Amino acid sequence: MSQPYLRFENLTKVYERGQVVALKNVSFSVEKGEFLVIIGLSGSGKSTLLRCINRLIEPSAGQIFVDGVDVTQLSSARMRRVRRKIGMIFQHFNLINRSTVLTNTLSGRLGYMSAWRSLLGLFTKEDKKLAIQNLARVGLEDKAYARADELSGGQQQRVGIARALMQNPDLLLTDEPVSALDPATSHSVMQYLEQMNQEDGVTVLASLHFLSLARRYGTRIIALKGGELMFDGSPSEIDEAKFKEIYGDEAEEVEVR
Amino acid sequence: MRSPADDFQYQPPNLLTLEGFGEALGMLRKRMAERLSPFFLDLVLVAILWVLITYGVSWIVWKEVHYSLVPTWVFLVGILETVALWESFGQSLGYRVARKTLLGESRAKPTFRQRIVYYLLFHISVFPIIGLAWKRPLHERISGLSVAHNVRGGEKPAPWYRTSSGILVALLMAAILATTFSVTIESDTWRRFLANPSKAGRIFKALVSPDFSFWQDAVFKLIETIYMAIMATLIGVLVAAPLSFFAARNLTRTPVARLFYTLIRGILSFFRSIEPIVWAIVFLVWVGPGRNPFAGFLALLIHSIADLTKLYSERLESIETGPVEAITATGGSWLSVLRYAVIPQIINPYISFSLYRWDINIRMSTIVGLVGGGGIGQLLLLLLRAQRFSQAAICVYLIAMLVWGIDTLSSRLRRYYERGRIIQEEVAEESA
Ligand SMILES: Nc1ncnc2c1ncn2[C@@H]1O[C@H](COP(=O)(O)OP(=O)(O)OP(=O)(O)O)[C@@H](O)[C@H]1O
Ligand SMILES: [Mg+2]
Repeated sequence: MSQPYLRFENLTKVYERGQVVALKNVSFSVEKGEFLVIIGLSGSGKSTLLRCINRLIEPSAGQIFVDGVDVTQLSSARMRRVRRKIGMIFQHFNLINRSTVLTNTLSGRLGYMSAWRSLLGLFTKEDKKLAIQNLARVGLEDKAYARADELSGGQQQRVGIARALMQNPDLLLTDEPVSALDPATSHSVMQYLEQMNQEDGVTVLASLHFLSLARRYGTRIIALKGGELMFDGSPSEIDEAKFKEIYGDEAEEVEVR
Repeated sequence: MRSPADDFQYQPPNLLTLEGFGEALGMLRKRMAERLSPFFLDLVLVAILWVLITYGVSWIVWKEVHYSLVPTWVFLVGILETVALWESFGQSLGYRVARKTLLGESRAKPTFRQRIVYYLLFHISVFPIIGLAWKRPLHERISGLSVAHNVRGGEKPAPWYRTSSGILVALLMAAILATTFSVTIESDTWRRFLANPSKAGRIFKALVSPDFSFWQDAVFKLIETIYMAIMATLIGVLVAAPLSFFAARNLTRTPVARLFYTLIRGILSFFRSIEPIVWAIVFLVWVGPGRNPFAGFLALLIHSIADLTKLYSERLESIETGPVEAITATGGSWLSVLRYAVIPQIINPYISFSLYRWDINIRMSTIVGLVGGGGIGQLLLLLLRAQRFSQAAICVYLIAMLVWGIDTLSSRLRRYYERGRIIQEEVAEESA
């Protein structure tokens, strides 16, 4: 039996001296090439789960195996080598506002560069060529020298995607990538993620707020409730009853077309 | 079965390990600060009120200066008891500021009996401070009252003249006003100020007829002043910029770094609390006469370092964490994070702060000169002593021109460097 690409074992995260249990014994695994969507109410632990994988947040207990390696045990130097194969896309884009789009895109290569090269900003010719290619891929080659904060939200998120592409990732973590965007822009951003998943074979973990988006793009859905895994299955399995169970009885489904 | 999550529920710290002991100490410190700061605030206010009233009354009645009129121990016991009474029976200002109030079990209103018990036992646990080490001190446990967060519901708060803290603040303001008024107006300085026209006349005459032949000497000293300020600013920036990273709370999380943080913050706030003019006198004694500009430069430098480090580190404390996370997530080293996520956010504010400091240093350097710290300020001092007023006038005009020029220049430049930030905010607003 081959081992899964990503495996969580009893992952637990407790914030601030035991006051908030954000994740409680979460165990599941993800196969290579899946597009896994994580849903759940606000505060259910979606962001915490994603951030534990590349250890932007330190898990409190349990293990996470990425390609067979338990990342919770890695030293910070080794963690960096794992991180560079894991792209991340953020809800609020997290670009360096004062720098150009090109520099922002190139920053995806920092994990591959020596300390002094990155300090002096000496990106190689190939890196620069790759950056232009990736910007072209997300339709932003004509913005390469604009400042990041001069772009619209949707454009900024595409720069975020280009930055992740620069890492040549095996795994992509995206935390509510489209919740700051309008419906049309949301779909264009989601389609870039879908393309990465299908054409480049990147395994994608995305937390999403809209079930319609989750159904449309996910190959599999998991749901968290109060830090516990409460659903794991295919998008078609979520019917009215399951939906109420995940989001509470008051909830109504909203569509994003 | 016990799940790992249960193990992370609250547990009292383990005192047998060094870490647990540290944690326990931290909790104790936090609890003490929480309880003692309202108490001290009340204490200080009551003490000031008493001193002011005594001062005012004895000045008006006997034309004498008295600060307490009673033996010190009576004064101390008196204010302590007043505060104890106030905190037990009313809503003291300290509690009000801390948004706390005294409540019984399940947020019931305290009864009079409970308040008396609370007040009496206050003496056992609060005055010897030690009682506060317990999570619920003795006087709270026995009286059944505890200091709880004051949640305002729908009911309208009482007007200020119906609350003890409101009345106390009003009394305090009235006392300050009455005392200062009676003390300043009654002295005869006003009379002297208005009735000495001959000397004032000479100075004003000199101001309108400055001795222009003197300008070369004055300009030479002016340049010395500018150099002093530029040197102090430049070296100040070079020292403060790296230092600020150790003085930023969000960047010093490990225990060793925290030690540096506390040390640097403490030393610098000491440096800052002493005026540059005092530093100049200290350094004049230290480096000896004949090295006056150097003493002035040192005085400006020490203040520049302290001030800039504070400004810089406050800016560092408010950086956005998003880019930091993003660069960390790409696998960048901490140097990369610094270079790509932190520095772009701080570079313009740093430049702007440095320019502002340069502006201050120019103004300060003339003042430092007045105690003998070199430059045009010192020249002015010598001329005034020698009563050469028309030559002094030239210096005054030169200083005014310099300060005005630098002020305009630095505010122009600062606006330029801050503009990046404004554009960024506008874009954020538009896209929101
Ligand atoms: N830094 C933190 N310190 C303390 N508690 C936190 C912290 N971050 C998150 N939490 C808590 O952990 C729980 C899970 O938070 P998390 O951000 O993972 O939820 P989420 O599912 O991403 O919610 P949302 O949909 O609103 O983004 C919440 O109860 C939250 O209050
Ligand atoms: Mg979240």
